[in-house]
Amino acid sequence: MIRPACEDTFVIKNRNLGNGYYSLTFGPYSRASECKPGQFVHIRLLGADVFFRRAFSVANVSTNNNEIEIILKVVGRGTKVMAGLRKGDLVNLLGPLGVPFKLPKKNETTLIVAGGIGVPPLLFLVYKMIRRGCDPKQIIFFYGGCSAVDIVKRSRIKKMGVTFLPVTEDGSLGETGLVTEFVEMYLLARRTDRFRIYGCGPPGMLKATNDLGLKYGIPGQLSLEAPMPCGIGVCLGCVVELTGGGYARVCRDGPVFDIGEVVL
Amino acid sequence: MTPDLKVSIAGVKFANPIMTASGCCGYGEELAQLFPLSKLGALVTKSITLKPRPGHRPPRTAETTGGMLNAIGLANVGVDCFLSDKVPFLSKQKTKVIVNVAGSTLQEYVDICARLNDCERVDMIELNLSCPNVDEGGMVLGVDPALTEKTITAVKKVFSKPVIAKLSPNVTSIVEIAKAAERGGADALSLINSVVGTAVDPETWRPRLTYNKGGLTGPAIKPIALAMVDAVYSNCRLPVIGIGGISSYRDVIEFLLCGATAVQVGTALFIEPDIPVKIIRDLTGYLKKRKLKSVCDLVGKVRKY
Repeated sequence: MIRPACEDTFVIKNRNLGNGYYSLTFGPYSRASECKPGQFVHIRLLGADVFFRRAFSVANVSTNNNEIEIILKVVGRGTKVMAGLRKGDLVNLLGPLGVPFKLPKKNETTLIVAGGIGVPPLLFLVYKMIRRGCDPKQIIFFYGGCSAVDIVKRSRIKKMGVTFLPVTEDGSLGETGLVTEFVEMYLLARRTDRFRIYGCGPPGMLKATNDLGLKYGIPGQLSLEAPMPCGIGVCLGCVVELTGGGYARVCRDGPVFDIGEVVL
Repeated sequence: MTPDLKVSIAGVKFANPIMTASGCCGYGEELAQLFPLSKLGALVTKSITLKPRPGHRPPRTAETTGGMLNAIGLANVGVDCFLSDKVPFLSKQKTKVIVNVAGSTLQEYVDICARLNDCERVDMIELNLSCPNVDEGGMVLGVDPALTEKTITAVKKVFSKPVIAKLSPNVTSIVEIAKAAERGGADALSLINSVVGTAVDPETWRPRLTYNKGGLTGPAIKPIALAMVDAVYSNCRLPVIGIGGISSYRDVIEFLLCGATAVQVGTALFIEPDIPVKIIRDLTGYLKKRKLKSVCDLVGKVRKY
Protein backbone atom coordinates (compact mmCIF):
# COMPACT_ATOMS: atom_id res chain seq x y z
CA MET A 1 0.00 0.00 0.00
CA ILE A 2 1.14 3.52 -0.81
CA ARG A 3 1.75 5.56 2.30
CA PRO A 4 -0.21 8.79 2.32
CA ALA A 5 1.67 12.03 2.87
CA CYS A 6 1.08 15.77 3.11
CA GLU A 7 2.39 17.65 0.09
CA ASP A 8 2.22 21.28 -0.98
CA THR A 9 1.10 21.79 -4.55
CA PHE A 10 -0.37 24.48 -6.76
CA VAL A 11 -3.56 25.21 -8.61
CA ILE A 12 -2.80 24.68 -12.30
CA LYS A 13 -6.30 25.37 -13.56
CA ASN A 14 -9.70 26.29 -12.14
CA ARG A 15 -12.41 25.85 -14.73
CA ASN A 16 -15.95 27.04 -14.03
CA LEU A 17 -18.32 24.35 -15.33
CA GLY A 18 -21.40 26.47 -14.59
CA ASN A 19 -24.13 26.28 -11.96
CA GLY A 20 -21.62 26.12 -9.06
CA TYR A 21 -19.56 23.26 -10.50
CA TYR A 22 -15.79 23.69 -10.84
CA SER A 23 -12.99 21.55 -12.14
CA LEU A 24 -9.69 22.12 -10.34
CA THR A 25 -6.33 20.78 -11.47
CA PHE A 26 -3.42 20.60 -9.02
CA GLY A 27 0.25 19.98 -9.70
CA PRO A 28 3.02 19.15 -9.62
CA TYR A 29 1.83 16.41 -7.30
CA SER A 30 4.37 13.63 -6.84
CA ARG A 31 1.71 11.11 -5.91
CA ALA A 32 -0.54 11.69 -8.94
CA SER A 33 0.38 8.38 -10.53
CA GLU A 34 -0.30 6.54 -7.26
CA CYS A 35 -3.93 7.69 -7.08
CA LYS A 36 -6.44 4.98 -7.90
CA PRO A 37 -10.11 5.41 -8.88
CA GLY A 38 -12.23 5.72 -5.75
CA GLN A 39 -9.42 7.24 -3.70
CA PHE A 40 -9.50 10.80 -2.48
CA VAL A 41 -7.24 13.64 -1.47
CA HIS A 42 -7.77 15.67 1.70
CA ILE A 43 -7.19 19.30 0.84
CA ARG A 44 -5.98 21.96 3.23
CA LEU A 45 -6.83 25.48 2.22
CA LEU A 46 -3.90 27.55 3.38
CA GLY A 47 -4.78 30.87 4.92
CA ALA A 48 -8.52 30.31 4.57
CA ASP A 49 -10.97 30.51 7.45
CA VAL A 50 -11.92 26.83 7.29
CA PHE A 51 -10.70 24.53 10.03
CA PHE A 52 -10.73 21.02 8.62
CA ARG A 53 -9.34 19.76 5.38
CA ARG A 54 -11.88 18.94 2.69
CA ALA A 55 -12.05 15.52 1.05
CA PHE A 56 -12.44 15.19 -2.74
CA SER A 57 -12.45 12.11 -4.93
CA VAL A 58 -9.82 12.13 -7.61
CA ALA A 59 -11.58 12.76 -10.95
CA ASN A 60 -8.57 12.17 -13.16
CA VAL A 61 -4.80 12.16 -13.13
CA SER A 62 -2.19 13.13 -15.67
CA THR A 63 0.76 10.91 -14.86
CA ASN A 64 2.94 12.66 -17.46
CA ASN A 65 2.48 16.08 -15.86
CA ASN A 66 2.00 14.86 -12.27
CA GLU A 67 -1.36 16.56 -12.07
CA ILE A 68 -4.66 15.56 -10.52
CA GLU A 69 -8.13 16.86 -11.19
CA ILE A 70 -11.03 17.15 -8.80
CA ILE A 71 -14.55 18.36 -9.51
CA LEU A 72 -16.58 20.17 -6.89
CA LYS A 73 -19.93 21.81 -6.40
CA VAL A 74 -20.21 24.83 -4.14
CA VAL A 75 -22.29 23.69 -1.17
CA GLY A 76 -20.68 25.37 1.85
CA ARG A 77 -17.80 27.40 3.22
CA GLY A 78 -15.02 25.08 2.11
CA THR A 79 -16.19 24.60 -1.43
CA LYS A 80 -16.87 28.34 -1.71
CA VAL A 81 -13.22 29.06 -0.90
CA MET A 82 -12.11 26.39 -3.34
CA ALA A 83 -14.22 27.81 -6.14
CA GLY A 84 -12.29 31.06 -5.69
CA LEU A 85 -8.86 29.45 -6.03
CA ARG A 86 -6.75 30.77 -8.87
CA LYS A 87 -3.86 29.47 -10.92
CA GLY A 88 -0.71 29.50 -8.81
CA ASP A 89 -2.51 29.35 -5.43
CA LEU A 90 -0.90 27.00 -2.92
CA VAL A 91 -2.83 24.11 -1.39
CA ASN A 92 -1.71 21.13 0.68
CA LEU A 93 -2.86 17.67 -0.34
CA LEU A 94 -2.95 14.71 2.03
CA GLY A 95 -3.28 11.55 0.05
CA PRO A 96 -3.94 9.36 -1.72
CA LEU A 97 -6.42 8.10 0.86
CA GLY A 98 -9.09 5.45 1.07
CA VAL A 99 -9.87 2.10 -0.49
CA PRO A 100 -10.12 2.23 -4.31
CA PHE A 101 -12.71 0.56 -6.55
CA LYS A 102 -12.11 -3.05 -7.57
CA LEU A 103 -12.06 -3.09 -11.37
CA PRO A 104 -14.69 -5.22 -13.15
CA LYS A 105 -14.02 -8.60 -14.71
CA LYS A 106 -13.62 -8.89 -18.49
CA ASN A 107 -16.99 -10.52 -19.27
CA GLU A 108 -19.03 -8.03 -17.25
CA THR A 109 -21.08 -5.11 -18.49
CA THR A 110 -20.27 -2.12 -16.31
CA LEU A 111 -23.15 0.00 -15.15
CA ILE A 112 -22.03 3.41 -13.97
CA VAL A 113 -24.63 5.14 -11.83
CA ALA A 114 -23.63 8.74 -11.22
CA GLY A 115 -25.75 11.35 -9.49
CA GLY A 116 -24.91 15.05 -9.58
CA ILE A 117 -21.60 15.81 -7.93
CA GLY A 118 -21.07 12.06 -7.38
CA VAL A 119 -19.58 11.80 -10.85
CA PRO A 120 -15.83 12.44 -10.21
CA PRO A 121 -14.67 9.02 -8.91
CA LEU A 122 -16.72 7.30 -11.60
CA LEU A 123 -15.14 9.40 -14.35
CA PHE A 124 -11.71 8.37 -13.10
CA LEU A 125 -12.82 4.74 -12.92
CA VAL A 126 -14.02 4.78 -16.54
CA TYR A 127 -10.87 6.56 -17.78
CA LYS A 128 -8.79 3.92 -16.03
CA MET A 129 -10.85 1.02 -17.35
CA ILE A 130 -10.53 2.26 -20.92
CA ARG A 131 -6.79 2.91 -20.51
CA ARG A 132 -6.51 -0.65 -19.28
CA GLY A 133 -8.08 -1.89 -22.52
CA CYS A 134 -11.70 -2.29 -21.48
CA ASP A 135 -14.14 -2.01 -24.41
CA PRO A 136 -16.08 1.26 -23.97
CA LYS A 137 -19.13 -0.44 -25.46
CA GLN A 138 -19.24 -2.61 -22.34
CA ILE A 139 -19.66 0.51 -20.19
CA ILE A 140 -23.12 2.00 -19.70
CA PHE A 141 -22.79 5.44 -18.13
CA PHE A 142 -26.00 6.49 -16.38
CA TYR A 143 -25.79 10.02 -15.08
CA GLY A 144 -28.65 11.62 -13.18
CA GLY A 145 -29.21 15.18 -12.04
CA CYS A 146 -31.94 17.64 -11.19
CA SER A 147 -31.42 19.47 -14.45
CA ALA A 148 -29.13 19.54 -17.52
CA VAL A 149 -26.73 21.91 -15.71
CA ASP A 150 -26.04 19.15 -13.15
CA ILE A 151 -24.70 16.81 -15.83
CA VAL A 152 -21.12 18.05 -16.18
CA LYS A 153 -18.27 16.86 -18.40
CA ARG A 154 -20.76 15.62 -21.00
CA SER A 155 -18.46 15.94 -24.00
CA ARG A 156 -15.66 14.09 -22.18
CA ILE A 157 -17.99 11.22 -21.33
CA LYS A 158 -19.29 10.99 -24.91
CA LYS A 159 -15.75 11.13 -26.30
CA MET A 160 -14.82 8.02 -24.36
CA GLY A 161 -17.18 6.01 -26.52
CA VAL A 162 -19.29 4.67 -23.66
CA THR A 163 -23.06 4.40 -23.86
CA PHE A 164 -24.06 7.68 -22.22
CA LEU A 165 -27.55 7.81 -20.72
CA PRO A 166 -28.29 11.09 -18.96
CA VAL A 167 -31.44 11.33 -16.85
CA THR A 168 -32.80 14.57 -15.41
CA GLU A 169 -35.64 15.14 -13.00
CA ASP A 170 -36.92 18.12 -15.00
CA GLY A 171 -36.42 16.48 -18.38
CA SER A 172 -34.04 19.17 -19.62
CA LEU A 173 -31.55 16.51 -20.76
CA GLY A 174 -31.99 12.85 -21.66
CA GLU A 175 -34.72 10.83 -19.99
CA THR A 176 -37.06 12.37 -17.42
CA GLY A 177 -37.16 10.94 -13.91
CA LEU A 178 -34.78 9.39 -11.44
CA VAL A 179 -31.64 7.79 -12.78
CA THR A 180 -32.12 4.56 -10.84
CA GLU A 181 -35.56 4.00 -12.47
CA PHE A 182 -33.81 3.83 -15.85
CA VAL A 183 -31.03 1.63 -14.48
CA GLU A 184 -33.70 -0.85 -13.40
CA MET A 185 -35.39 -0.75 -16.80
CA TYR A 186 -32.05 -1.45 -18.43
CA LEU A 187 -31.43 -4.39 -16.12
CA LEU A 188 -34.85 -5.84 -16.87
CA ALA A 189 -34.32 -5.48 -20.62
CA ARG A 190 -31.01 -7.36 -20.48
CA ARG A 191 -31.53 -10.09 -17.97
CA THR A 192 -28.92 -12.39 -19.52
CA ASP A 193 -25.96 -10.00 -19.24
CA ARG A 194 -23.47 -10.19 -16.38
CA PHE A 195 -23.41 -6.80 -14.76
CA ARG A 196 -21.32 -4.92 -12.26
CA ILE A 197 -22.57 -1.66 -10.77
CA TYR A 198 -20.52 1.33 -9.62
CA GLY A 199 -22.42 4.16 -7.97
CA CYS A 200 -21.75 7.54 -6.42
CA GLY A 201 -24.24 10.28 -5.74
CA PRO A 202 -26.73 11.67 -3.22
CA PRO A 203 -27.97 9.43 -0.36
CA GLY A 204 -31.31 8.58 -2.01
CA MET A 205 -29.64 7.54 -5.24
CA LEU A 206 -27.05 5.47 -3.38
CA LYS A 207 -29.77 3.68 -1.45
CA ALA A 208 -31.79 2.98 -4.62
CA THR A 209 -28.65 1.68 -6.37
CA ASN A 210 -27.78 -0.50 -3.39
CA ASP A 211 -31.35 -1.87 -3.39
CA LEU A 212 -31.16 -2.65 -7.13
CA GLY A 213 -27.93 -4.57 -6.62
CA LEU A 214 -29.48 -6.60 -3.83
CA LYS A 215 -32.79 -7.15 -5.65
CA TYR A 216 -31.19 -8.45 -8.85
CA GLY A 217 -28.14 -10.05 -7.26
CA ILE A 218 -25.72 -7.77 -9.07
CA PRO A 219 -22.33 -7.17 -7.47
CA GLY A 220 -20.92 -3.71 -7.31
CA GLN A 221 -19.54 -0.92 -5.25
CA LEU A 222 -20.65 2.45 -4.00
CA SER A 223 -18.52 5.44 -3.11
CA LEU A 224 -19.79 7.27 -0.04
CA GLU A 225 -19.41 10.81 1.13
CA ALA A 226 -19.11 12.01 4.72
CA PRO A 227 -17.66 15.05 6.44
CA MET A 228 -14.17 13.93 7.42
CA PRO A 229 -12.13 15.69 10.08
CA CYS A 230 -8.95 13.62 9.71
CA GLY A 231 -9.32 11.51 6.55
CA ILE A 232 -6.82 8.91 7.79
CA GLY A 233 -8.96 6.89 10.19
CA VAL A 234 -7.99 8.25 13.58
CA CYS A 235 -10.83 10.56 14.61
CA LEU A 236 -13.75 8.15 14.01
CA GLY A 237 -15.91 11.08 12.95
CA CYS A 238 -17.00 9.92 9.48
CA VAL A 239 -18.46 6.53 10.31
CA VAL A 240 -21.25 4.69 8.49
CA GLU A 241 -23.32 1.84 9.92
CA LEU A 242 -22.50 -1.64 8.65
CA THR A 243 -25.31 -4.07 7.81
CA GLY A 244 -23.46 -6.65 9.88
CA GLY A 245 -23.48 -4.34 12.90
CA GLY A 246 -21.09 -1.69 14.15
CA TYR A 247 -19.58 1.17 12.23
CA ALA A 248 -16.95 1.55 9.53
CA ARG A 249 -14.84 4.61 8.85
CA VAL A 250 -15.77 6.12 5.48
CA CYS A 251 -12.27 7.57 5.11
CA ARG A 252 -10.24 4.48 5.93
CA ASP A 253 -12.47 1.43 5.49
CA GLY A 254 -14.12 3.16 2.51
CA PRO A 255 -15.05 5.47 0.86
CA VAL A 256 -15.79 2.57 -1.50
CA PHE A 257 -18.02 -0.13 -0.02
CA ASP A 258 -19.56 -3.23 -1.59
CA ILE A 259 -23.26 -3.22 -2.36
CA GLY A 260 -25.05 -4.57 0.71
CA GLU A 261 -22.19 -3.76 3.07
CA VAL A 262 -23.47 -0.55 4.64
CA VAL A 263 -26.79 0.79 5.90
CA LEU A 264 -27.88 3.57 3.56
CA MET B 1 25.22 22.08 20.81
CA THR B 2 21.88 20.35 20.29
CA PRO B 3 19.43 21.31 23.02
CA ASP B 4 18.15 18.54 25.25
CA LEU B 5 14.48 17.76 24.64
CA LYS B 6 14.25 14.93 27.14
CA VAL B 7 11.73 15.21 29.94
CA SER B 8 10.87 12.95 32.84
CA ILE B 9 7.47 12.47 34.43
CA ALA B 10 7.04 10.30 37.51
CA GLY B 11 10.27 8.50 36.69
CA VAL B 12 9.30 7.75 33.09
CA LYS B 13 11.76 9.24 30.62
CA PHE B 14 10.49 10.70 27.36
CA ALA B 15 12.63 11.55 24.32
CA ASN B 16 10.81 14.87 24.05
CA PRO B 17 7.76 16.61 25.53
CA ILE B 18 5.48 16.01 22.52
CA MET B 19 2.76 13.40 22.91
CA THR B 20 -0.30 12.67 20.78
CA ALA B 21 -3.56 13.20 22.66
CA SER B 22 -6.02 10.41 23.31
CA GLY B 23 -8.72 10.03 20.68
CA CYS B 24 -6.64 11.73 18.03
CA CYS B 25 -4.24 8.95 17.05
CA GLY B 26 -6.20 5.71 17.43
CA TYR B 27 -3.76 3.01 18.54
CA GLY B 28 -0.95 4.38 16.39
CA GLU B 29 -1.25 2.28 13.23
CA GLU B 30 -2.53 5.03 10.94
CA LEU B 31 -0.14 7.74 12.11
CA ALA B 32 2.80 5.35 11.73
CA GLN B 33 2.23 5.53 7.97
CA LEU B 34 2.88 9.27 8.07
CA PHE B 35 5.91 9.45 10.35
CA PRO B 36 7.95 7.11 12.57
CA LEU B 37 6.29 7.03 15.97
CA SER B 38 9.77 6.98 17.51
CA LYS B 39 9.78 10.74 16.90
CA LEU B 40 7.15 11.14 19.61
CA GLY B 41 7.72 11.56 23.30
CA ALA B 42 4.72 9.31 23.79
CA LEU B 43 1.62 8.05 22.10
CA VAL B 44 -1.57 8.22 24.17
CA THR B 45 -4.11 5.70 22.93
CA LYS B 46 -7.79 6.17 22.29
CA SER B 47 -9.74 5.59 25.54
CA ILE B 48 -10.01 1.90 26.32
CA THR B 49 -13.15 0.61 28.01
CA LEU B 50 -13.88 -2.79 29.54
CA LYS B 51 -16.14 -3.87 26.67
CA PRO B 52 -15.91 -2.70 23.05
CA ARG B 53 -18.06 0.34 22.26
CA PRO B 54 -19.41 1.24 18.83
CA GLY B 55 -19.82 4.91 19.75
CA HIS B 56 -22.67 7.28 18.96
CA ARG B 57 -24.63 7.52 15.73
CA PRO B 58 -23.15 9.95 13.19
CA PRO B 59 -22.83 12.87 12.84
CA ARG B 60 -20.29 12.74 15.64
CA THR B 61 -18.19 15.76 14.71
CA ALA B 62 -18.82 19.32 13.61
CA GLU B 63 -16.50 22.07 12.49
CA THR B 64 -16.68 25.26 14.55
CA THR B 65 -14.79 28.54 14.55
CA GLY B 66 -11.18 27.68 15.33
CA GLY B 67 -11.97 24.17 16.41
CA MET B 68 -14.36 21.27 16.38
CA LEU B 69 -17.04 19.56 18.41
CA ASN B 70 -17.04 15.84 18.87
CA ALA B 71 -19.24 13.29 20.52
CA ILE B 72 -17.67 10.06 19.32
CA GLY B 73 -18.95 8.27 22.42
CA LEU B 74 -15.75 6.42 23.39
CA ALA B 75 -15.85 4.14 20.36
CA ASN B 76 -13.06 1.63 20.97
CA VAL B 77 -12.13 -2.03 20.68
CA GLY B 78 -12.28 -2.83 24.41
CA VAL B 79 -9.42 -3.87 26.68
CA ASP B 80 -9.23 -7.53 25.57
CA CYS B 81 -8.97 -6.70 21.87
CA PHE B 82 -6.55 -3.89 22.69
CA LEU B 83 -4.22 -6.31 24.44
CA SER B 84 -4.47 -9.01 21.78
CA ASP B 85 -4.66 -6.94 18.55
CA LYS B 86 -3.16 -3.52 19.22
CA VAL B 87 -0.34 -4.12 21.70
CA PRO B 88 1.69 -6.30 19.25
CA PHE B 89 1.96 -3.31 16.89
CA LEU B 90 2.72 -0.91 19.73
CA SER B 91 5.42 -3.28 21.01
CA LYS B 92 7.39 -2.64 17.83
CA GLN B 93 7.25 1.15 18.25
CA LYS B 94 10.15 2.88 19.93
CA THR B 95 8.13 5.40 21.86
CA LYS B 96 6.48 5.50 25.25
CA VAL B 97 2.93 4.19 25.31
CA ILE B 98 0.35 5.74 27.59
CA VAL B 99 -2.97 3.93 27.61
CA ASN B 100 -6.01 6.08 28.23
CA VAL B 101 -8.61 4.30 30.34
CA ALA B 102 -12.32 5.11 30.64
CA GLY B 103 -14.75 3.33 32.91
CA SER B 104 -18.46 3.74 33.50
CA THR B 105 -18.03 2.76 37.15
CA LEU B 106 -15.16 2.83 39.60
CA GLN B 107 -15.00 -0.96 39.41
CA GLU B 108 -14.56 -0.81 35.64
CA TYR B 109 -11.56 1.49 35.98
CA VAL B 110 -10.06 -0.99 38.43
CA ASP B 111 -10.79 -4.00 36.18
CA ILE B 112 -9.26 -2.40 33.09
CA CYS B 113 -6.17 -1.15 34.92
CA ALA B 114 -5.62 -4.54 36.55
CA ARG B 115 -5.48 -6.12 33.10
CA LEU B 116 -3.17 -3.45 31.76
CA ASN B 117 -0.85 -3.93 34.72
CA ASP B 118 0.31 -7.25 33.28
CA CYS B 119 1.17 -5.66 29.93
CA GLU B 120 4.83 -4.74 29.75
CA ARG B 121 4.37 -2.41 26.78
CA VAL B 122 2.19 -0.02 28.77
CA ASP B 123 4.46 2.63 30.26
CA MET B 124 1.77 4.65 32.01
CA ILE B 125 -1.97 4.96 32.09
CA GLU B 126 -4.01 8.09 31.78
CA LEU B 127 -7.38 7.98 33.49
CA ASN B 128 -10.07 9.64 31.43
CA LEU B 129 -12.02 11.15 34.32
CA SER B 130 -13.44 13.76 32.05
CA CYS B 131 -15.15 12.49 28.89
CA PRO B 132 -18.17 14.75 28.35
CA ASN B 133 -19.71 12.44 25.76
CA VAL B 134 -21.09 9.48 27.66
CA ASP B 135 -24.03 9.26 30.01
CA GLU B 136 -22.26 7.30 32.72
CA GLY B 137 -18.83 7.35 34.37
CA GLY B 138 -16.14 9.63 33.01
CA MET B 139 -17.06 13.17 33.76
CA VAL B 140 -19.43 12.19 36.56
CA LEU B 141 -16.41 11.00 38.52
CA GLY B 142 -14.11 13.72 37.28
CA VAL B 143 -16.24 16.65 38.44
CA ASP B 144 -16.47 15.34 42.00
CA PRO B 145 -13.30 15.71 44.12
CA ALA B 146 -14.16 12.83 46.47
CA LEU B 147 -14.94 10.41 43.63
CA THR B 148 -11.82 11.49 41.76
CA GLU B 149 -9.70 10.74 44.79
CA LYS B 150 -11.43 7.41 45.42
CA THR B 151 -11.06 6.26 41.81
CA ILE B 152 -7.37 7.04 41.67
CA THR B 153 -6.70 5.39 45.03
CA ALA B 154 -8.46 2.25 43.82
CA VAL B 155 -6.58 2.20 40.51
CA LYS B 156 -3.22 2.74 42.20
CA LYS B 157 -3.80 -0.46 44.19
CA VAL B 158 -3.96 -2.57 41.02
CA PHE B 159 -1.66 -0.69 38.66
CA SER B 160 2.01 -0.50 39.62
CA LYS B 161 3.29 1.96 37.01
CA PRO B 162 2.60 5.71 37.10
CA VAL B 163 -0.96 6.98 36.74
CA ILE B 164 -1.94 10.24 35.07
CA ALA B 165 -5.33 11.77 35.86
CA LYS B 166 -6.84 13.62 32.89
CA LEU B 167 -8.93 16.47 34.15
CA SER B 168 -12.06 18.11 32.84
CA PRO B 169 -12.35 21.87 32.36
CA ASN B 170 -16.10 21.58 32.95
CA VAL B 171 -15.81 22.20 36.69
CA THR B 172 -16.09 25.12 39.09
CA SER B 173 -12.50 24.75 40.24
CA ILE B 174 -10.03 22.55 38.40
CA VAL B 175 -7.53 23.15 41.21
CA GLU B 176 -9.91 21.41 43.65
CA ILE B 177 -10.03 18.36 41.41
CA ALA B 178 -6.28 18.45 40.84
CA LYS B 179 -5.68 18.46 44.58
CA ALA B 180 -8.10 15.56 45.01
CA ALA B 181 -6.21 13.62 42.34
CA GLU B 182 -2.99 14.35 44.18
CA ARG B 183 -4.48 13.08 47.44
CA GLY B 184 -5.66 9.96 45.63
CA GLY B 185 -2.09 9.21 44.63
CA ALA B 186 -1.96 10.34 41.00
CA ASP B 187 1.58 10.63 39.66
CA ALA B 188 0.82 13.33 37.11
CA LEU B 189 -2.06 15.40 35.76
CA SER B 190 -3.06 16.02 32.16
CA LEU B 191 -5.36 18.89 31.26
CA ILE B 192 -7.61 19.84 29.73
CA ASN B 193 -10.12 17.46 28.22
CA SER B 194 -12.68 19.00 25.84
CA VAL B 195 -15.00 21.83 26.81
CA VAL B 196 -18.71 21.02 26.67
CA GLY B 197 -20.36 22.78 23.78
CA THR B 198 -22.86 22.39 20.98
CA ALA B 199 -23.90 23.75 17.60
CA VAL B 200 -27.29 23.84 15.89
CA ASP B 201 -28.23 23.93 12.21
CA PRO B 202 -30.45 27.01 11.73
CA GLU B 203 -32.11 25.36 8.69
CA THR B 204 -33.13 22.02 10.22
CA TRP B 205 -33.19 23.18 13.88
CA ARG B 206 -31.21 20.03 14.64
CA PRO B 207 -28.07 19.91 16.79
CA ARG B 208 -25.07 19.17 14.60
CA LEU B 209 -24.28 16.10 16.73
CA THR B 210 -26.71 13.24 17.42
CA TYR B 211 -25.59 13.31 21.05
CA ASN B 212 -27.00 16.88 21.05
CA LYS B 213 -23.82 18.24 22.61
CA GLY B 214 -20.14 17.42 22.48
CA GLY B 215 -16.66 18.43 23.45
CA LEU B 216 -15.01 21.48 21.94
CA THR B 217 -11.34 21.08 21.01
CA GLY B 218 -8.78 22.85 18.86
CA PRO B 219 -7.22 26.32 18.94
CA ALA B 220 -10.47 27.82 20.26
CA ILE B 221 -9.85 26.26 23.70
CA LYS B 222 -6.14 27.01 24.02
CA PRO B 223 -6.50 30.11 26.24
CA ILE B 224 -8.80 28.18 28.60
CA ALA B 225 -6.33 25.32 28.78
CA LEU B 226 -3.37 27.61 29.39
CA ALA B 227 -5.07 29.39 32.28
CA MET B 228 -5.99 26.05 33.84
CA VAL B 229 -2.48 24.64 33.43
CA ASP B 230 -1.15 27.78 35.08
CA ALA B 231 -3.62 27.49 37.98
CA VAL B 232 -2.93 23.81 38.56
CA TYR B 233 0.85 24.22 38.28
CA SER B 234 0.74 27.06 40.79
CA ASN B 235 -1.32 25.12 43.32
CA CYS B 236 -0.25 21.51 42.94
CA ARG B 237 3.04 19.64 43.19
CA LEU B 238 2.31 17.07 40.49
CA PRO B 239 3.85 17.33 37.03
CA VAL B 240 1.39 18.70 34.48
CA ILE B 241 0.87 17.61 30.87
CA GLY B 242 -0.74 20.45 28.92
CA ILE B 243 -3.47 19.78 26.36
CA GLY B 244 -5.71 22.12 24.39
CA GLY B 245 -5.43 23.45 20.86
CA ILE B 246 -1.68 22.99 20.45
CA SER B 247 -0.84 23.39 16.76
CA SER B 248 2.70 24.81 16.67
CA TYR B 249 5.96 24.96 18.63
CA ARG B 250 4.95 28.42 19.88
CA ASP B 251 1.83 26.91 21.46
CA VAL B 252 4.06 24.30 23.13
CA ILE B 253 6.29 27.02 24.55
CA GLU B 254 3.29 28.83 26.02
CA PHE B 255 2.20 25.65 27.81
CA LEU B 256 5.70 24.92 29.09
CA LEU B 257 6.07 28.48 30.37
CA CYS B 258 2.77 28.10 32.22
CA GLY B 259 4.07 25.00 33.95
CA ALA B 260 3.52 22.00 31.70
CA THR B 261 6.37 19.47 31.66
CA ALA B 262 5.04 17.94 28.46
CA VAL B 263 2.15 18.51 26.07
CA GLN B 264 -0.29 16.53 23.99
CA VAL B 265 -1.20 17.43 20.43
CA GLY B 266 -4.74 16.45 19.50
CA THR B 267 -7.05 18.09 17.02
CA ALA B 268 -4.10 19.54 15.06
CA LEU B 269 -3.28 15.96 13.99
CA PHE B 270 -6.51 15.92 11.99
CA ILE B 271 -5.28 18.81 9.89
CA GLU B 272 -1.54 18.05 9.78
CA PRO B 273 -1.04 14.43 10.80
CA ASP B 274 2.74 14.83 10.80
CA ILE B 275 2.63 18.03 12.91
CA PRO B 276 4.52 16.46 15.87
CA VAL B 277 7.61 16.13 13.67
CA LYS B 278 7.42 19.80 12.66
CA ILE B 279 6.81 20.91 16.24
CA ILE B 280 9.83 18.98 17.52
CA ARG B 281 12.02 20.43 14.75
CA ASP B 282 10.86 23.99 15.42
CA LEU B 283 11.08 23.61 19.20
CA THR B 284 14.71 22.52 18.82
CA GLY B 285 15.33 25.57 16.64
CA TYR B 286 13.78 27.88 19.23
CA LEU B 287 15.87 26.44 22.07
CA LYS B 288 19.02 26.83 20.00
CA LYS B 289 18.19 30.40 19.10
CA ARG B 290 17.50 31.26 22.73
CA LYS B 291 20.65 29.38 23.79
CA LEU B 292 18.70 27.16 26.16
CA LYS B 293 20.32 23.86 27.06
CA SER B 294 17.17 21.98 27.93
CA VAL B 295 13.47 22.20 27.22
CA CYS B 296 13.02 21.90 31.00
CA ASP B 297 14.46 25.42 31.31
CA LEU B 298 11.10 26.73 30.06
CA VAL B 299 8.83 24.94 32.52
CA GLY B 300 6.93 27.36 34.73
CA LYS B 301 9.06 30.31 33.66
CA VAL B 302 6.24 32.61 32.60
CA ARG B 303 7.21 36.12 33.69
CA LYS B 304 4.02 37.18 35.40
CA TYR B 305 3.07 40.78 36.13
